[in-house]
Amino acid sequence: MHNNFSTFRSINAIHDAALEDHFREGIGFKVFILTPSYPFMLIGQIVSLIEDHIELMVETTHFAQLENRTWLVHIHNIEVFYIEFPGGPRIPALNDMA
Amino acid sequence: MIRRYHVVAIPIRIVVNNFGDHNPDGRMYVLKENESTVKELVRKNPFTPVELVQPLTIRANEGDIVEILFENQLPIAAGMHFQEADYNVLTSDGANVGLNPSSLADSGDTIFYRINAATEGIYYFTDLGNVSSTEDGFSLQGLYGALLVEKRGSWWTDPVTGGKLNSGAFADIHNPFLPSFREYAWFFGDEMEVDDLTGNRPIHPVTGQDVDSFHGVNYRIEPLYNRKRLIEEGVVNPDLDGEEVHHDSWVFGDPATPIMRGYRNDPAMFRLIHAGVKETHTWHYHLHEWLKDNSNIHSELLDVQAISPQSHYNVQPLYGLGSLHGAIGDVIVHCHLYPHFEAGMWGINRIFDTLQDGSQCYPNGMPIAPLQPLPDRPCPPRPTKEKPGFPNFIPGKVGCKAPRPPLGIVGGREMTELERNAAVPNARPGAVFVDACLGNPVVLEFDVSIIEMPLVYNKQGWNDPKGRFFVLDKDLDDVLSGRKEPEPLVLQIEAGSCIRINFTNRAPHVLDGDAFQLVTRTYETGLHTHFVKFDILVSDASNVGWNYDSSVLPGETIRYEWFAETELKAFFFHDHLFPAAYQQHGVFGAGVVQPRFSKFLDSRTGEETDRGTQVTVTNPIIPDFRDFALFVQDFTLLFDKDGCPIEPPDFPGSSDDPGIFAVNYKNEPLQFRLGKECDPAYSFSSFVNGDPVTPILKAYEGDPIRIRLLQGAHEESHSFNLHGLKWKSEHPDNDSVLRDQQHIGIAESYTLEMDIPSAGDYLWAFEDEEDVWNGTWGLIRAFDQQVRDLIPLSDRPLPPMRTKPLPKKTGKPPAPADPQSTLPPELSHDAVLRSFNVVAFQTPIVYNSFGDHDPFGIIFALEEDVEDILNGKKNPEPLVLRGNSGDLVEVTLTSRLQFDLFPFPDGIHPYPPVKEQAFYPPSLRISLHPSLLDYDITTSSGDTVGFNPDQTVGPGETITYRWHVQENVGTCAMWDMADLRNHRSFGTFGAFIAESRFTTYHDPTTLEPVETGTNVILKNPLLPDTREFVLIMHDGVRLVDKHGQLIVDPMAGVIPAAEAEEEDIVDTYDNGSRGFNYRTERLINRFRERPVLSDLFSSKVFGDPATPVFEAYPGDPVTIRLTDPSERRRAHTFHIHGHSWKFNPVDVFSRSVSFVGHMVPGSTDDLFLIGGAGGLFNYPGDYMYRSGNIRWDIEQGMWGIIRVHADIQAHLPLLEE
Repeated sequence: MHNNFSTFRSINAIHDAALEDHFREGIGFKVFILTPSYPFMLIGQIVSLIEDHIELMVETTHFAQLENRTWLVHIHNIEVFYIEFPGGPRIPALNDMA
Repeated sequence: MIRRYHVVAIPIRIVVNNFGDHNPDGRMYVLKENESTVKELVRKNPFTPVELVQPLTIRANEGDIVEILFENQLPIAAGMHFQEADYNVLTSDGANVGLNPSSLADSGDTIFYRINAATEGIYYFTDLGNVSSTEDGFSLQGLYGALLVEKRGSWWTDPVTGGKLNSGAFADIHNPFLPSFREYAWFFGDEMEVDDLTGNRPIHPVTGQDVDSFHGVNYRIEPLYNRKRLIEEGVVNPDLDGEEVHHDSWVFGDPATPIMRGYRNDPAMFRLIHAGVKETHTWHYHLHEWLKDNSNIHSELLDVQAISPQSHYNVQPLYGLGSLHGAIGDVIVHCHLYPHFEAGMWGINRIFDTLQDGSQCYPNGMPIAPLQPLPDRPCPPRPTKEKPGFPNFIPGKVGCKAPRPPLGIVGGREMTELERNAAVPNARPGAVFVDACLGNPVVLEFDVSIIEMPLVYNKQGWNDPKGRFFVLDKDLDDVLSGRKEPEPLVLQIEAGSCIRINFTNRAPHVLDGDAFQLVTRTYETGLHTHFVKFDILVSDASNVGWNYDSSVLPGETIRYEWFAETELKAFFFHDHLFPAAYQQHGVFGAGVVQPRFSKFLDSRTGEETDRGTQVTVTNPIIPDFRDFALFVQDFTLLFDKDGCPIEPPDFPGSSDDPGIFAVNYKNEPLQFRLGKECDPAYSFSSFVNGDPVTPILKAYEGDPIRIRLLQGAHEESHSFNLHGLKWKSEHPDNDSVLRDQQHIGIAESYTLEMDIPSAGDYLWAFEDEEDVWNGTWGLIRAFDQQVRDLIPLSDRPLPPMRTKPLPKKTGKPPAPADPQSTLPPELSHDAVLRSFNVVAFQTPIVYNSFGDHDPFGIIFALEEDVEDILNGKKNPEPLVLRGNSGDLVEVTLTSRLQFDLFPFPDGIHPYPPVKEQAFYPPSLRISLHPSLLDYDITTSSGDTVGFNPDQTVGPGETITYRWHVQENVGTCAMWDMADLRNHRSFGTFGAFIAESRFTTYHDPTTLEPVETGTNVILKNPLLPDTREFVLIMHDGVRLVDKHGQLIVDPMAGVIPAAEAEEEDIVDTYDNGSRGFNYRTERLINRFRERPVLSDLFSSKVFGDPATPVFEAYPGDPVTIRLTDPSERRRAHTFHIHGHSWKFNPVDVFSRSVSFVGHMVPGSTDDLFLIGGAGGLFNYPGDYMYRSGNIRWDIEQGMWGIIRVHADIQAHLPLLEE
């Protein structure tokens, strides 16, 4: 049997596309992301989607030196996320003690 | 590839420093090519150190075969035994063990060793021909070295010339695919013979007594006593006292001990090796941090490594030399045990910022040797007149103390022009030559002072009239007026903070003299910190090398700046100018770098705070938790309420273990907790004696907690045990094993993170006999209902309102526990029930075939074995129980103890001794406490602790404990908690092995199922059949010989014989006999039959040892279950010849090792032998397992054999394929 791979959509591709769509809908909203690799936690506004990379204006990570700048995060590197759509629970405000 | 080395063992004079201190009878390994040169140089330089006289360090790459032609020029047989290596044990063991042919070389002979270097790392080698613990012992006199195995494809060069290097402790290592790095081999040595210039034992200029024994690095020491003499003689600035300038190169020039040089940010690797024989050291490297296991990126971050004899660690400082922020200057590397530090066990890591090509000099005119830049790194700038580089911009004066730093001291000086040229653009107080805070993070400011005031340690009025400690300035009034109880200062800090400390010296400038100490002019002090980032030149709060003296005089204030860039553990801080003189008076504290965005609340009031040993931490992202800090102390110099010193040394100023023990400036000695009935079984009971004055850590049932475990002072190992709770052994690594015990030495810091599953009182204790006897224990109290003085955690359900009154002291023993009324908290509904009937009774135990025995043994045994043991058919071994993951285990314990069978019915237990001997009569009650298992703390822990019910049993009584095997945690220790003083070292211990689900256990000879035993075959439908050998290492045993004479070990076991002066060097916790599984093969018994040192381990001469001889076939899967349930503080190393296992048994990425380090009471380990019996290549033969402590374990019988048979034996069935 011959598979036409050019038209074949695997469940993984569908899954990724859905994620991309969801993040695209979240452009302009605040997002909370946990990643298994450095810097592990990112909070900020979704600026855009570049293929399957999310462009974030990061307000908060574990490390102050890495904040207030744009980050690109690949969706495969996201373990946990939450987009703060209107009406949903708020992402906690994280403030340094001082 | 094959690498070949011709190694010669030679007698050599070892000069250990520039003062002419020397060992006339040294022994060392040297390459044949250097032999004549080194002998000639030593002949010409009898009183100055010779560079080539250093522990032999040779190198190979992983995958290499290393062939050693070993030539013995020593007077008796010697050899080279390689740890970590794979080799044919019959030819290349470097020992004469069991039935093997000897692989030692006789005097004048040669032998050929072939070593497989399969994995990168340290292959430590030493001699096993002469394991005497005296100054005649080869290892003790310097016969050790290391084969360093590098990554495949590496080569190495001389850091000075860039040329070829065949041997040497320092090398630059290069690889086509990996960054070049500086390699520094650091060999701790201890107890070596040292004479002074005159050939006599050195005398201490202050005490007039013998100095401490040798504690050195790479055959060198730079002790305080020599440098102090130069002050006293007026050779250098006589205005000084001594300890504050011990490490100061401005006064004395550079030390004779290693100076490990590099450029800023150079990658580096310390090969940290303990080649000594006795002490467990803590190795501290200022400013830097590293992964505990450099092959596992999830492993714990350390900045202190505890290391026991014949063990070793790869220390790869993160971010390279100078750490994250790229500091420059002299970074001290030292043993943190203060008496060792003072005795000269330190060196310097010198980080340059300019190129050293041989054209420069140090400020005292000594030329700076060239240092090749690493080829793959940018070349450092050349020094110029305006920017000469470290150390030549520092305005010091040779012969005088280092200058104070610019900017930092309030009212102090500005920068000189050269300093300004070297400074960073935003130089500020505490951060002048490097920006430690990496930009502009949040700033936290603390005003801290050091003060002196009396500290009262317990209700009996034991006190330290010269307590000294750190306190926040805002608490000064409350502490000085008595409104606030003194405790070690613990600062709570959010990760990512720049910490500014304004430190004021409010301590008197004289530490007064008394029975413990002589008067010392401790006129300056500082606040030296661990872990966090800082400018080493100005904020080290030390006085090291060519750096500044960053301390202050009385009344002065200095600013330090630290950066906590990420969540760390508790970071330790203390003074670094006079710590040997007064840290034991309380001069220690910690900062806890908490997760970013945390807030810290007073657990009692809920108000925000920034300090305290007990706080509640709240955080918007992670669960809230309770945070507790515990600091164990030794050398605590206390007086009783009548002013009599407690355990004073022989003479004031002696560092021979003065004083006693405490935790957070408190102790609760058991001698005061006998109650009216004088039964030790209730010593920990708050019903009988009230709560202890030591910390009671309070929480509600279900709360997450983090314990910050630290040691504040001063020299010894301690063993933290927590009953009924457990944590992941490596805080950041989910693949790490569960533990409920942790060895700790001074300056180490551990975070123990866990939840409290159910309400009750949990005992924490530093639980060797002498520590706990003197009061190093307390409680974690988990409440099931609300209490007034503890806020609930904000993200947990509110605890129910209080309906039951809180328990109170009654003076009477508590009611017996009813374990059948509760279930272990983690138990599932359909658990398999496994039951054991265990009896505790007294019986003599025969320890070996020479008649050494314990006539007063107390043991646990299954009921069906009691009769055979009592009528002599069975010589007992420690009870080993097993259960599978998921099992509910019911252990019914019966006491058959009889009062007249105790050796010391009058309540005074003279030997093995403990400090502060006191009346403590034997208890007839007994209990069984298991570590690591899951049980209800109020019914089944075997502890009668706090306000928990009674879990011990008296004669004729029984209790049925319920333990749940929550997972296959492997080895769990078991011991009695009713009477730690009169029971434990007589044999009341054993092990519980938590196996995988569906496992069955079988006799190795009959293959029949068994219920107990130290040697079994495990069968499991999903796993290969595996031989399981259980080794219970124990010490502090009271033995008598075949004539009934008391054996006073360790001295009675010393070969050839103990000399009179050596009797003095035994600490209380060295006393007693030792071995494995109620057996000991003391070498002295063999030596008396045949006085040939090289034959002592030979079964051909003496037959097999009394200690277990475990048998297997090549390649058989083998698991060693190892524990030390009893009972002394001296830490042991465990080593098996020719085998290795994973450092972390559940993590395949962790390093392979052939040793277990610093075993102390409560420790448990599981060793899954890589390749099975016979190691990676399955070589048959006899493999020794043993302690790594030459002084005083191996002689005293801590060794045995794993026999790997080449041929099928009739008595040993094969494992099923």
